[in-house]
Amino acid sequence: MAVAVIMPKQGQSVETCIITKWFKKKGDKISIGDILFSYETDKAAFDLESTMEGILLDIYFEEGAEVPVLADVAIIGNPEEAIEESPSFKDSKASIASTPSKAVKAVNAVKDADTVSKIRISPRARHLAESKGLNINNIKGSGPNGRIITRDIENAVSGDLFVPNNIQKTAEYTEKPLSNVRKLIAKAMHSSLQNSAQLTHHMSADVRSLLEARQRIKRNQTSDKSQQDITLNDMVCWCVIQALLKFPEANSHFLDDHINTFNKVHLGLAVDTPRGLMVPSVKNSDEMDLVKLSKELKSIAESCKKGSINPELIQSTSATFTVSNLGNYGVEMFTPVINLPQVAILGVCTIINRPADTGNNIFGFVPYMGLSLTYDHRAIDGGPATLFLKEIKDQIEAFRY
Amino acid sequence: MPKSQNINPKIIRQPKFIEFGKIPVNQYNKSIEDEKHIYSREDFIRIYHDMVVIREFETMLNLIKTTNEYNGIAYNHPGPAHLSIGQEASAVGMAFTLSIDDFIFGSHRSHGEILAKGLSAIHSLDEDTLYSVMKNYFGGSTLKVVEKGFQGNIKDLSINFLLYGALAEIFARENGFNKGLGGSMHAFFTPFGIYPNNAIVGGSGDISVGAALYKKINRKPGIVVCNIGDASMGCGPVWEGICFATMDQYKTLWEGEYKGGLPLIFNFMNNLYGMGGQTCGETMGFDILARVGAGVNPESMHAERVDGYNPLAVIDAFRRKRQILKEKKGPVLLDTLTYRISGHSPSDASSYRSKEEIEAWQKEDSILAYGKSLISAEIVKQEELENITSDTKELLTHILKLSINDELTPRIDLKKDPDFIGTMMFSNGSADKMEDGIPEVLIPLDENPHVKSLKNKERFFKDKDGKPVSKAKLYQFRDGIFEAVIDRFYKDPTLAAWGEENRDWGGAFAVYRGLTEALPYHRLFNSPISEGAIVGTAIGYGMCGGRVIAEIMYCDFLGRSGDEVFNQLPKWQAMSGNMIKMPVVIRVSVGSKYGAQHSQDWSSLTAHIPGLKVVFPATPYDAKGLMNSALQGTDPVIFFESQRIYDIGEMFHTEGVPEGYYEIPFGEPDIKRAGNDITILSIGATLYPVIKAADILLEKYGLSAEIIDARSLVPFNYEPVINSVKKTGRILLTSDASSRGSFLKEMAQTITELAFDHLDAPPVVVGSRNWITPAYEMEEYFFPQVDWFLDAIHQRILPLKDHQVKTDFSANKSIRLNKNGI
Repeated sequence: MAVAVIMPKQGQSVETCIITKWFKKKGDKISIGDILFSYETDKAAFDLESTMEGILLDIYFEEGAEVPVLADVAIIGNPEEAIEESPSFKDSKASIASTPSKAVKAVNAVKDADTVSKIRISPRARHLAESKGLNINNIKGSGPNGRIITRDIENAVSGDLFVPNNIQKTAEYTEKPLSNVRKLIAKAMHSSLQNSAQLTHHMSADVRSLLEARQRIKRNQTSDKSQQDITLNDMVCWCVIQALLKFPEANSHFLDDHINTFNKVHLGLAVDTPRGLMVPSVKNSDEMDLVKLSKELKSIAESCKKGSINPELIQSTSATFTVSNLGNYGVEMFTPVINLPQVAILGVCTIINRPADTGNNIFGFVPYMGLSLTYDHRAIDGGPATLFLKEIKDQIEAFRY
Repeated sequence: MPKSQNINPKIIRQPKFIEFGKIPVNQYNKSIEDEKHIYSREDFIRIYHDMVVIREFETMLNLIKTTNEYNGIAYNHPGPAHLSIGQEASAVGMAFTLSIDDFIFGSHRSHGEILAKGLSAIHSLDEDTLYSVMKNYFGGSTLKVVEKGFQGNIKDLSINFLLYGALAEIFARENGFNKGLGGSMHAFFTPFGIYPNNAIVGGSGDISVGAALYKKINRKPGIVVCNIGDASMGCGPVWEGICFATMDQYKTLWEGEYKGGLPLIFNFMNNLYGMGGQTCGETMGFDILARVGAGVNPESMHAERVDGYNPLAVIDAFRRKRQILKEKKGPVLLDTLTYRISGHSPSDASSYRSKEEIEAWQKEDSILAYGKSLISAEIVKQEELENITSDTKELLTHILKLSINDELTPRIDLKKDPDFIGTMMFSNGSADKMEDGIPEVLIPLDENPHVKSLKNKERFFKDKDGKPVSKAKLYQFRDGIFEAVIDRFYKDPTLAAWGEENRDWGGAFAVYRGLTEALPYHRLFNSPISEGAIVGTAIGYGMCGGRVIAEIMYCDFLGRSGDEVFNQLPKWQAMSGNMIKMPVVIRVSVGSKYGAQHSQDWSSLTAHIPGLKVVFPATPYDAKGLMNSALQGTDPVIFFESQRIYDIGEMFHTEGVPEGYYEIPFGEPDIKRAGNDITILSIGATLYPVIKAADILLEKYGLSAEIIDARSLVPFNYEPVINSVKKTGRILLTSDASSRGSFLKEMAQTITELAFDHLDAPPVVVGSRNWITPAYEMEEYFFPQVDWFLDAIHQRILPLKDHQVKTDFSANKSIRLNKNGI
């Protein structure tokens, strides 16, 4: 019996997915476990493995199509079978424009079995992709027979696509279509700046205690291995969580006609990935001690890089507040953009040594970390926002471990 | 070739007849009585004793093979045992007069000859010498087993040692004369002058000639006896050996004390059958083997048929023939008539001969007949002879027990040391010279015309101003080889070189220009067109202790020396238990322009055979350094050269080719140009088109190629190549060899294994087509070309922008070609 392949629902809020690549084509023989196609939600990419075997009798959506979740995408079965439209396909409303859909009556027997049935990739390219946390399903190979070779990975990492042969060397620019992730980031960022009233306050925190605590942790690394990996960012996040508990108005979602203020802190962390910016969240971070928090932050960042993050966690509604750390890159101050509907975001900047009174009018150089808080003036006023930022600073300066 | 000998048409065109002298057949006709003045009573008895020992030794083996038992002792010997029961008188007669300075070579059926020669040596050596020989052999481990609890004199102990060493060898045990690595068909013991037996029929036919050359060139005492079978007269290497041994030049051109024939006896142990083929009457046409001598030289090789069923007849013949060799009138051909009563091997059902025939020969059994004649001449009594037989049985029972005792006589422990045999393959020695002495040369080195002309050559391909040097002023590839060779001739007195056109002509490719002026005939001479014997004689020369460079001109002629290169040269170091060394360099030149039978690169064939070192330099610097290493070593080296580049200058070693001595270690590939994007590994002359391809890759596609010249095939250090592949992720391999089964494929496979995770594409091999080599004008369709490299890279490794493929290297093409066997 012919069975429909449906677009899975990846997370509660996901309504549609985009098919990014088909690995099978109509008429191909399908085994259980074969990858049929890859697709992405607004922030994560997935492969769909077949749970059936048979012939791929028809495909209802081509690459690039945005498909409602739970809609029929393709049908697998016996070539002799005439196919009726599956009920679920009828029911689901393929309302997206430009989505090709077909009513299928009969399917020809397999004509060309010699098609690419799996991803061709060189061992070296595979290793490189793994080390960069790249999902190879979305990469088009430029090597012989479409093999993915190292330059394809390198190009994917740098954001360049392989320049096809027919492009003239003299062209001043290369044109490339936006990836879906890029489109989504563009939309979200632009909408944030257009639809909110955001401004940024800058402040600096003395990080001598923080650095000293870190030294201590490094030194005592024998007992608990997970402590070794605690970073400055983890500590700052922990301080932010403490501050949020004192200033719940910053731990909120602004939803035009009402504000939801959260009892729990779901901390969002901006993560740079080869596919673009992602902001996964750590749920109930206020219940965690520093070691646990550090582990969780690491884990979600890794998942994003690998593309295996639970899509629920990267919804902007998933986090109640976001931290974006550019300190590693030497950024001294910046104006982070709020991830709506959240009401604020903290930018963490680099550490700079500044002259300061070290006590008794003795001046020395003290390391200061820059803190840039962007907040939505629709939700919070300048006073409370400043006090909140001051609280973060105090938490950092009083940090003990 | 020599200008000193004119060939005058007036004389040579005169009519006349060739006259053949008489060749004696079974002319010995003396009784015991007649010989009493030569032999003592002990001599007569010793002859009988030695025959009985051999007979019993082989009877024992026959029983073990056919009944798994001897004298109540059970044993299974799965290996070979080619017995010579019936031929004992020939063996003992052959060995009776020989000293340890006399070397014997054998065949697959030579147990009897080894024992006879060993017993003869034991008889002639004094006890101290004997004991020290035994004590020093493999640190005395063989001696220890027979010495324990032994009561008797050193001579008897030595007989125990001989029988034990031989039997342990046959049974592949570590106390055998060759650590059990030789076995029945290859057993030998050089301290007694017993040189290798040979499992290839006629294998000793040219090797023994090399041994005789060694004695002659190095003025060593003694003669060489080549014991081979009658059927080996049908083997090319035997004919080539005979031709090599009877060249006129020994008598006409070699000078002083070197003038004269080789001290060599080709002793054909003529048992009338080659396995089952009857040589007289079926498979050969000589009727009487000795007749062949008449066709070889005016002396008919002093050929003679002697009755090998009578030990005294054989001894008599060897005495007379030794005199001929002493007079430098050798070599000699002996047709020693005998008969093998046992089968070719224990599985022989004797389907090719009648029972009556065997019985008739048994009636004339040499041991019975000789014993009877001793009794009737009142030299011994029947009872004494019977005692000899029963004592021998008892002795062999004892020796068998020792030989099969796994504790006393274990095999090499390959469980403990699985790589042990690997350590036997090469001697890996380093020796300026194989023997002390003053090398005989004709002029001081700096007076040599070639050496002098090299003083004015540019040793780098560009002059100081960066301009390319003209061919006339250029120090060329061939000069690199020459410098290494002549240097060694002035260092190592044993070094000799031969091959076709090696003298006067200066080698077919002018590498040896200047050597003729430097060296007397016995150190550099022209050989017959006998590539088999050119290599075979070199093997014999090398295993006796001399260093030699043999040249076979074109690589395509390697086929003519197939057995020597594949079966003999690579094997003897290991089969001797690493007792002997093989400092033999074979120069092989890969041609072009001359079509299908003069343009092949067969380096892969030689690299396939374990036991050979194989090098293929592509630059003058590498050629000189590798030849120096080859001539400093003690292992067989196949030294490949390419005729395309004999006149090329040094383009890579910027200081130019050093004038002094230096070695380039075998096995180290050389990075000729560093790069990052693709590795190109080349063997031989394809280095130069590779350079051009690399230039294009850089200029047109911005890809920098790392070019590695393999230089050696065996041994080969993969590490630099793997490191390069780790960097570039891509590798193309190329040489002029036809690609199917070429050494490049071996390398590609090894690289895939060692660097799989680093590869961005499979290693791609670009060799020559699997065709005949066409004429020069069509060679660009056969040998790897610059375009081919780009095409292969584009289609198999990394598509190149806007590249237009000219030669198809696609997968489909590969499948189609392989399907069609091309």
